[in-house]
Amino acid sequence: MRKFAGLVTTAAILAGGIITGVNAQETIKIGVTQPLTGAFAASGNYVAQGAKIAEDEINKAGGVLGKKIQLIIEDNKSNPTEAVSTVEKLITKDKVPVLIGAWSSTLTLAVMPKLEEYKVPMIVETSSSGKITTSGNPYIFRISPTSAMEAKSFQPLVPKMGIKKASFLYTNNDFGIGSANEYSNMLKANGVTIGAMETMDPKATDFSAQLAKIKASGSDSLFVTTAVEQLTLILKQAKEQQLNVRIISCGGSNSPDQLIEQAGDAANGSFHTAFFPPWFPEVTKNPEVSKRYMDEWKKRGHNVGGLTEGFRGFDGVYVAVAGIEAAGKAEPDAIRAALWGVTVKGIYGDIHFNKEGPAGKESGQNVPVVYLVTISNGKVTRTSF
Amino acid sequence: MDELFQHFLNAVILGGTYALLGIGLTLIFGIMRVVNFTHGELYAFGAYCMYAFVMLFHVNFFLALVLAMSMGTVLGAAIELLLLNRLRGADIDTTMLVMIGAWIVMQNTEQFVWSGVALSISSPFPANPLVVGPLSVSWNRVYVFLIALGLIGTTYFVVNRTRLGKAMRATFQDRDTAALMGIRIGRIHTATFALGSGLAAAAGALLGPVFVVTPTMGDLAASKAFAIVILGGLGNITGATLGGFILAFVEEIGAGYISSGYRDAMGFLLIILILLMRPTGLFAQKERIG
Amino acid sequence: MNRYVGWLLIAFLASVPLWLNDFYLLHVFITTGIFIIAAMSLNLLLGYTGQLSLGHVAFFGIGAYASALISLGFQVHVLPDFTIGLEPKPPWLAILVAIFIAGLTGYAIGKLSFRVRGAYFVIVSISFAEVVRLVAVNWVELTQGPMALNNIPALTIGAGAFELSFLRKPAFYLLVLTAAVFSYVVIARLVKSRTGRAMVALRENESLATSVGIDVTRYLVVATVVSAAIAGMAGALYAHYIRIVDPDVFLFIYTVTMVIMVITGGKGTLAGPIVGGALFGLIPEILRAMAIEPEVQWIIYGVLMIFIVYFLPRGIVPAVESYFSNRKSVTARDTVSAASEVLKE
Repeated sequence: MRKFAGLVTTAAILAGGIITGVNAQETIKIGVTQPLTGAFAASGNYVAQGAKIAEDEINKAGGVLGKKIQLIIEDNKSNPTEAVSTVEKLITKDKVPVLIGAWSSTLTLAVMPKLEEYKVPMIVETSSSGKITTSGNPYIFRISPTSAMEAKSFQPLVPKMGIKKASFLYTNNDFGIGSANEYSNMLKANGVTIGAMETMDPKATDFSAQLAKIKASGSDSLFVTTAVEQLTLILKQAKEQQLNVRIISCGGSNSPDQLIEQAGDAANGSFHTAFFPPWFPEVTKNPEVSKRYMDEWKKRGHNVGGLTEGFRGFDGVYVAVAGIEAAGKAEPDAIRAALWGVTVKGIYGDIHFNKEGPAGKESGQNVPVVYLVTISNGKVTRTSF
Repeated sequence: MDELFQHFLNAVILGGTYALLGIGLTLIFGIMRVVNFTHGELYAFGAYCMYAFVMLFHVNFFLALVLAMSMGTVLGAAIELLLLNRLRGADIDTTMLVMIGAWIVMQNTEQFVWSGVALSISSPFPANPLVVGPLSVSWNRVYVFLIALGLIGTTYFVVNRTRLGKAMRATFQDRDTAALMGIRIGRIHTATFALGSGLAAAAGALLGPVFVVTPTMGDLAASKAFAIVILGGLGNITGATLGGFILAFVEEIGAGYISSGYRDAMGFLLIILILLMRPTGLFAQKERIG
Repeated sequence: MNRYVGWLLIAFLASVPLWLNDFYLLHVFITTGIFIIAAMSLNLLLGYTGQLSLGHVAFFGIGAYASALISLGFQVHVLPDFTIGLEPKPPWLAILVAIFIAGLTGYAIGKLSFRVRGAYFVIVSISFAEVVRLVAVNWVELTQGPMALNNIPALTIGAGAFELSFLRKPAFYLLVLTAAVFSYVVIARLVKSRTGRAMVALRENESLATSVGIDVTRYLVVATVVSAAIAGMAGALYAHYIRIVDPDVFLFIYTVTMVIMVITGGKGTLAGPIVGGALFGLIPEILRAMAIEPEVQWIIYGVLMIFIVYFLPRGIVPAVESYFSNRKSVTARDTVSAASEVLKE
């Protein structure tokens, strides 16, 4: 009993000693929480890489309010409890006045109560669940689109593509379910019959059963929402099973470059929604920004397939800095108030925040541009009719 | 009807690799009584080896498989000698915890070295599937199926017709008597772990080109392997082979006709049901391995 | 002497919120504390009855979901036009009911799974946790599936002027400490009673225990019920602290964490899970504070685990205890040899 009491006390003091780091730099800190290990590690690392590009650019141009910015990037291990720990640490230990994170909708939802408790704003760079901006949390500022927005921008293409009967194959998490719901509602409202609605476990690698069912349903189009790893396998297996339908992937985590590289011929003829098209950056709202980001990304030798994820971190940092600039000081509440008024020329488009959610406690929501691209002959082209 | 046949065909093809995973684990679990959490990591290791040999060193596709499997066997032997050897007398949960530690180290080393981005391995097989009437299957999968059968057959031969196999079966039946009869238990353990790991690595090397290679790919494979071990009975190779096919069938039919979301749950539900009715596994009479 | 030290330790731990201004550390202590409670409950099954249950996180998660659902209210269609619903209830009631439900689940699982033993039981327990997770993911009407139950109310007791709120960290920390002490006492009582001795008997030699007349299944079920209830309590506390619950609460890594805490600390000892819990709850945060690559942090964590188990296979607490008792016997030997020297004169 005595020994373990001593052990516990020593451990606590040791922990306190080490965790209380020395931080005497004169910089403005911005907290970033991303999944750097675990199930979402690939994407989380891309976002962090994009954020660092923005950090260096901004510092080279003199920083903000006369000081350099410093990104404090924490790994939330693709796990909600860890996400909460990272936000606790960033806010209470590092005293960051603004955050960017947390990649997936579940991780973002997990940290939202903390934002309210400590009154620190967070810029949501990727999450798509509608719940995030409708829960009445005034510290949320989302620059990424919701699934509802994405489906809405797809609407005019339905008659152009001649979609009559559509099936869905989506991953069984908030991302996939939200996307499938929004798209199917939109399609039904436009007179399309829904065939099969099939789900898959986020870790599954074999979809033969689902694809066979979809084949038997007689649909002309298949909407897929999942991340690029599963999408690669779905394209390959659809070809193996001779599934002759038009495949459209949604959600923006589809990395067409990686698909071409890994699915090869199976990727030809497929359609993908994208929130940033690195294959023709000149059509983006702010092509100079897009080009700067892409050039630096390639210069650093990062994986080209990650361009479609990294830009989220890039835009996130620029928006945070714009908020700090407009506020005139690195204080959470001032930044929060200032974010309502900022407009940033970003890769997502001209970023600004509209009010969304219950009155009096609205969150900020940007309205980004959504693009549709096609893969044909191993190249990505802009879909045109 | 066509759909049913397609499901059937899918299940048969999938079953072969499931069986391969299950056999390796049932040997380790049965003979050594170790809850081997590194089994999935050996599977992933085999896939990464295959990627390295085929995509980076441009080794012949078929030779690469042999190399990957050999490296998996060596790694398995190394793990056994370094970690498990000294713990031979310890409780099942102590060795399990060491295996968990090894699992964490291996998976994160893989992510550190290769990053979390999915990697794909190109195969020399045509991308267009083999079509027989209304059914189609990819050439790659047919190859995987045939090799898997070959490896299962070889394992069966080793365990049932060789001296080493006899020694393994003896150790499984009664360790103390086997030791008294002069069998070097330590060597048998190392050989068993190496063999099981080699089979897991082979499964990974075979499936790597079919799917994609990621650091977490071993987790799902391991959970299926555990399910198969239960279905077939501990240490029972025939049981594991049949268990692999049964699991594949249940998954395909279940996902095809009941609910695709619960596909991966089928295995677990099956385990629970079977264990509640027949506590020693489906093939109760075959308690011994072979 | 021991009891005095115990009270002193509790008093010291209780005083922490008074002088520790670091909210992040307090947060770490709270989450570690919740996991220690869960680890203690696992120790009852793992350490005292010798059953390796790898599905323990299921009880934790059931407690979390039950408490969240009761305090948020829900409505489900059992039949196409027949719904069962519940109005939101106060959190303190939700937690108590959650503990009960978790215990009930423990009873059901205990009765069913103890038909098998050893390796089979391990796999059944993993399967059970996985099935529960998949139900949580797919029964969207009840659990919201992956869309998560959020906005779970914080725990408050009483109302108006007499309201005691556990939203702020210091208050929650004390709540967790109280729950931990309560669990410890319950487990200690159980272990030292006749029931506890029966459990240890069946751990050491099941067939012998049965031959002496001990109803093995009955005691295993008792252990599972208590274990599940305490784990459920930990889960309920988690739900009202993090205030969002999604199927990730059933992640296998949580079971792994609990198992690590129990075994490295010393299974079958009362202090074991506490030491193991403190160690493996704080280490990831210490590693996080050092500027190392995230993957390398995990690798160090894994290597540390292996080292501790390798060199101290019975755990830290038994190793420390035997070290101290060795010294005592050395002293005794010295006394005897000194005495014999004197007598020779």
